[in-house]
Formats: sequence, C-alpha cells, structure tokens
Amino acid sequence: MIVPVIKVENLKMYYKTKMGYVQAVDGISFELEAGESLGIVGESGCGKTSVSMTLLRTLPENAHFMGGHVWFNDNGKMVDLTQLPEDEMRHYRWRGISMVFQAAMNSLNPVYKVGDQIVEAILNHYPDTPIDQAKAKVAKLFELVTLDPKRMEQYPHQYSGGMKQRAVIALSLACDPKVIIADEPTTALDVIVQDKILRELKKIQKELNMAMIYISHDIAVIAEVSDKIAVMYAGKFVEEADSTTIFKRPMHPYTFLLMNAFPSHVGPKKKLFTIPGEPPNLLNPPKGCRFAPRCPWADNRCREQDPEYVEVEKGHYLACWHPLTEEVRQNELRK
Amino acid sequence: MTNPVLIFVFAGLLPAVGVVYAIYKGKAPQNYIFLAISLALYYGALTNFRYLYLFSPRFNYILAPIIYFYGFNLSGLSKFIRNRLAQIVLLLVIYVTVVFFIFLAMPGDYTTKFLQDPKIRQNPEVYERMKQLFGVDDPWYVKYYKHMKNFFNLELGISFSEYPKRVEEIIAERLPRTLFLFLASSVLSFLLGFDLGKRIAWKRGGLTDKMATFVGIVFWTIFTPFYMLILIWLFAVTLRLFPLSGFITPTKWFDAPFSAQAVFIRLLLTELFMLVMWIIGIVVAGRLKTIRAKRTAIWGFVIGGAIIAFVYWAANGMGTYALDIVHHLALPVIALVTLHFAGDMLVMRDTMLEVIKEDYITTARAKGLPDKVIRDKHAARTALLPLMTSFVIGLASTVSGGVITETMFSWKGMGLTLLEATTAQDTPLAIGCLVFTGVLVLLAHLVADILYAFLDPRIRY
Ligand SMILES: Nc1ncnc2c1ncn2[C@@H]1O[C@H](COP(=O)(O)OP(=O)(O)OP(=O)(O)O)[C@@H](O)[C@H]1O
Ligand code: SF4
Ligand SMILES: [Mg+2]
Repeated sequence: MIVPVIKVENLKMYYKTKMGYVQAVDGISFELEAGESLGIVGESGCGKTSVSMTLLRTLPENAHFMGGHVWFNDNGKMVDLTQLPEDEMRHYRWRGISMVFQAAMNSLNPVYKVGDQIVEAILNHYPDTPIDQAKAKVAKLFELVTLDPKRMEQYPHQYSGGMKQRAVIALSLACDPKVIIADEPTTALDVIVQDKILRELKKIQKELNMAMIYISHDIAVIAEVSDKIAVMYAGKFVEEADSTTIFKRPMHPYTFLLMNAFPSHVGPKKKLFTIPGEPPNLLNPPKGCRFAPRCPWADNRCREQDPEYVEVEKGHYLACWHPLTEEVRQNELRK
Repeated sequence: MTNPVLIFVFAGLLPAVGVVYAIYKGKAPQNYIFLAISLALYYGALTNFRYLYLFSPRFNYILAPIIYFYGFNLSGLSKFIRNRLAQIVLLLVIYVTVVFFIFLAMPGDYTTKFLQDPKIRQNPEVYERMKQLFGVDDPWYVKYYKHMKNFFNLELGISFSEYPKRVEEIIAERLPRTLFLFLASSVLSFLLGFDLGKRIAWKRGGLTDKMATFVGIVFWTIFTPFYMLILIWLFAVTLRLFPLSGFITPTKWFDAPFSAQAVFIRLLLTELFMLVMWIIGIVVAGRLKTIRAKRTAIWGFVIGGAIIAFVYWAANGMGTYALDIVHHLALPVIALVTLHFAGDMLVMRDTMLEVIKEDYITTARAKGLPDKVIRDKHAARTALLPLMTSFVIGLASTVSGGVITETMFSWKGMGLTLLEATTAQDTPLAIGCLVFTGVLVLLAHLVADILYAFLDPRIRY
C-alpha cells in the first residue's frame, strides 16, 4: 500500500470578524501521494487560498483553527501539523510544504536581493550548506524557471511581474519540498509564458517526485497539470476525482455547470452554461447544501440537510443528494 | 600657497587626473562642457581671479567637483549623492540669502546701530573694518553680495555683546556643544525608539504594548519646558544626582592645565569614534550569517570602542575633568532622549504594524524562518525606512527644540547663544548662529539621506 505524503482530514478554519465567523475552510479532506498532483478549482472567494494557508499555518491574526488534521509523512512517520508547537512547525515549512504565492508581486522583500532571499531559505533549513553551494543551487533553480542567474544579484523592483512570478517559483523549489502548493502561479502572466511555466512546473514536479496542489479558478489550466481535481464551493470540497472523471462524468451539479461554463478551444462547439446567482456569503452560508440556492436540481431536502462528503466510487468523492447520472448529463447538453 | 609641492599637486596633478578621467569616461559633448566649467571655477578659485568666482573662492571649491560629476552618466548611489550634494549647496545659498533678507527687512539698519556702539566707536580701526565688511554705505545688493561673501569666507564680524570676540570664534566654540547634544540624543533616542517600537508591535495588544504606547504618547505630547523643570527638580534639586545647569563646575577647573573647550572637543571626538565603531560593527555584521554572530560583532565593536575610549581618557590625565562635563551633560541628554524616543517608538510601532501585513512577511513565515529573524531581518528592516523619513523630517525641529533644552539647562550651545544674541540685539552673532544652525541641519539631512539611500535599494538602483 502506498502511504500518502499528505492527508488532510476534515480541516476547518474560520476568520473571526466583527460580524461573526467567515467559514472559509469548512471540513476539507483529501490526500496526496508523492508525484501526484491535485488541482483545486473554484470561484473567487471560495477559500482556496485559505486552505493552503491553513496547511502551512501562515494565517492572518484573525484566523481561527476550528479542527481537523493535516497528517504529513515525515519519512514514514505521520505527523499532525495542526498539533505541532510553532517552533517545530517551522521545520516542516518550505522543506515539507512550500508554496508559490498568489500575490507574487509583493511576496519578495523589497530590500534584499532576490538571490539572497532564496539562499536564506536554503540556509535556514540546511545551515551547514556552504554559501557558494547554496548560490549554485539558486542559479540552477533560476535556469530551471528560465531566469538569467545574473538576476540573482538584483532587487525585486528590478524585475518585471512575470520575472517575479518565476522567481517565486524558484523560491518555492529551494528546499526540495515534498509538497508544493501553487496558488494561481500564472495569473499574472501572458498566455504564452503561462503555458511554458505550467509545463515547466509539471516537469519539475514529476522529476523531483513532489506532490503538488495546484490552485486556480481556470478549469483549463487545472486540467493541464492535475492528476486529480477537487472542486471547491463556499469553503467545502463538493467533488473530487481524477481529471478524466471530473471532465467526462461529473456527478455534482456545480462541477457539471462549471465544466460547461467555459468554451473549449478544441472539439466541437458545445452548449455553454451559466450558473445563475452569486456565490454565498461565507459569513452566513445557506442552510443545507450551500449550492442549493443556485442549483437547478435542488429540492427541500437539499435546503434542509447538508449532504455528506463521501466516496461514491473508488477515488471519487462527492457531497450531493442527487448525483447526476449519464442520462441527466446528456439530456442537459442536448437541451 | 607658496609650497611648490602643494602647487604641483593642487594646480597640476589633481585637475590633470580629473581631465584624464573625464576624457577616458566621456563620450558626449556635455562631458567636456561640464569639465571646462568645472576647471574654470577651480582655477579661478586657485588663482583668486575675481571674475571667475562667486562670493568667495571657497564656494568654487565646493561647486567645481559637483559640476565636474554632472559631466558623467552616473547611476545608482553615486548619482543620488551627486544630485543631493547639488541640492544641498543650492539650499544653503537660498537659506543664507533668506537670512539676509529677513534682517534687511527688520526695522532699523542693524549695521548702523552696531557701529554706533561705543565699544566699537572707540576703536577706529575696527570701526572701519566692520564698515567695509558689512558694506554699511553700500546699496542693498552690494550688502547682499558682501553678506554671502562673508559667509563663505567665514568672516562674520565682531560680536557686540561679547566684544571683542569674533563671531566665528564664538560659533566654533558653541557649535560642538550643540552637535554633541544633538548627536547623543538623536542617535540614542532613534535606537531606543526603533528597538522598543519593533518589540511592542510584534507583541501587539499585550500589556507591554499598551503601557509603552501610553508612556510614549505622554512623552510625545508633554509640554517640554515643564517636563525639563520636573527633571531638574527631581534629579538635581531633590536627589542631587546631577548639577542644576551649566557646562562645567568652575571651582573644579581653577588650576586645570587645559581649557574646558579642549577637553570637550575630545569628548565630541570620542562620541564620533563610538558612532563610527558602532557603524563598522553593523557593516561587519551584515557579512555574517547567523544572528548570534551578528550580535556578537556589533557588541564586540561597541564594547571594544568603549574600552579604547576608556583607556584613552584614563591615560591622558583629563579624565576627571571630562567626567565633570559628562556629569553636566547627563540631564540634558536624558531629557532629550526621553522626549524624542517616544515619537520614534510610536512611528516604528505603526509602520511595523503595517509591514507585518505585507505578503513578504507571510513568505518569510512560510519559509520557516524563526520568529526573531522574521521580526528583525524582514519586518523591522523595512519598517526602518519610514522611520528614517520621519527622523529626517523631524531633524529641523530637533535642532530648533535645542533652543528650549539649552535654555532650560543653561547649556551654552547654538540655541542659547542665538536666544541671547537676539535679546541683546547682537545681530552679527544672531546671523552667525542662524546660518550655522542651518548648515548643521542641512548636513544632518545630507547624512540621513545618504544613509536612507544605503538602506533602500529602490533609491540606489
Ligand atoms: N483575513 C481575513 N479576514 C476575514 N475574511 C477573510 C480573510 N481573508 C479572506 N477572507 C474571506 O475568506 C474567503 C476565502 O478567501 P480566499 O482568499 O481563501 O479565497 P480564494 O478562493 O483564494 O479567492 P481568489 O480566487 O480570489 O484568490 C473570502 O470570502 C474572503 O472574503
Ligand atoms: S445537494 Fe441538492 S442542492 Fe446541493 S448540489 Fe446536490 S442537488 Fe444541488
Ligand atoms: Mg486566492
């Protein structure tokens, strides 16, 4: 049996605000093996960034951990990251789980050279590394993300947006992490560069046999890089399966609508769906299924009871009272 | 200049090096234009050729190198420093001009009043010289020209309340005293404010934070003279820890083999020496890897400097006299430090709270850096920049606030001298004090600006 590198169980994290708790992460579960990649897709504000911040425990002050476990495979021993004291947790950051931040523009400290900031990460976790060796490693990483190693000696403000993005990717690879979280790493880039970086990231991930969590609101991008896809809606995962299943046989209405809300560049022209309404306010989410107010299949039970997130077939998780069948899907597409 | 070696070096070698370098580096015609202007100014000053210098040869010596460097395509820090130098020189000229016109606009011509003084009238030679120096019988623009010239020639006339001392002599004596107070208090309060501000911001919301913020606001808003009176009453009158006021205890100096000023200048140099040691410590620490090593380096240099200073004072036989001065210094320094650290601390706390929210602090945390490293190396380091800005903005008020401090503690520096000169209508001395206080502020600005550029790569590159 293969042991996962990371196994998340029923993770909950709320933000405390004056108006109450924002239920940004509300019972998330998934697991990942080495070399595997999971794409998390969902509308803006559904809590994708919050999930990754909770895994790393780099949350803002008003964030409250509400329960759950993050089991991390530390050379065969499963450690619950949520229970570690802060000074032990920091040894798992970057070496265990690293991250490509969504806000790459401001993720680098303006007063230090970019190269030095990456060297800092290496020396922090491997203090015995000679500086030259650390620098050589950074130079290699720069080449990997197609940055000129000469730019190591420059400051962040001398970089363009795309260069910063690539530097942040190089930074995330600095300590050979077991898990890498890429939070919309390419949104700031033009399509050509975006494609190149995606491919590069994918290659690196397979080469180094890392597990990757790839976050995006763009289903096409997710499809390109992920083995598995999790669809997130209002703080919860509503469906998770391997990419083909999610594309070919989605069972959750939200997944189905989402898949067909984007025009595809290849293949025959297909019908485009729109999802009516707006994502719910996480301060006060609707009772029952959170998708109910926008769901065409919703009934009274949906509005009253929250469906549980269960494995409906091997590797296919779902939270819905009325899973779509092949027949329903075909009908919908033909309409 | 009659020494042939000096003539060779300054009239031949130095400009020649400049010319060769300019030709070697220069590509555009403007290089040669600036080079020519710069050379003309330089030789004009050197040969005292009166049509080629403005105000005074000394001014040319300041201008020539700055203009010379305008011929180059500098970049980064050197360009920044060159431009700042040019701005400071321009500001200096404007400032000295403004001082002149303020005194010109004041009712009654001070020069006549000054020359009417019996002390000066008694001495016809001095009388004539002063008349010439101020251009008493000349129209205002000639007066202005002479005023500027006198400033750059450091010939500011004779003080009339402290007759027959020359103004520049008085200033040479008083400026170091103000400089000492100013340096000691601003450096100490900056360090204290920086350190406390960063700590309380990091542990925000706690009891220490609330108390320190409260104390800071009290010190920040307190009426300064009142606070100083309290200090004097508490430490000098009630506890008798420090002397009431003044610069020295005269009874201790009756048979001193040297002047108080000589001892004081050495004290000032010691202060500067300590400052330099501390800065070297910081520079060395910048090259080290671990926090422990960095801290050891800084403290090593500071303590090493202190030991050297101690040995120096123990050996030169002036120690006890210096202690007397230090004893007098303590209370004003304590007053200034406590008053100024509060503002720095509050600014630092505020900017730290802003910086903590930045994404790069999250990155630093995500990288797994220890808490202290994130606080000191990432958060405090960037929060230092706004603090420097507020420090620079507050420079002028620090110096002008010196008037109050010096008066309260009868510390005869520039501020008190200016006050006395003004009340005694000793206009030459008042002008001298104003002008040189301005020079002090401008120089402090220049130093702070260059420091800022060192700290902020966005200016450097
Ligand atoms: N510090 C905070 N305090 C209160 N609410 C917050 C805080 N940070 C985020 N939120 C809320 O939590 C929810 C999830 O935010 P999050 O940033 O995780 O979304 P996201 O899925 O990453 O969105 P995007 O695709 O736009 O990046 C949002 O509704 C947001 O308003
Ligand atoms: S549970 Fe009901 S409302 Fe929710 S998605 Fe399924 S069908 Fe729609
Ligand atoms: Mg996000």
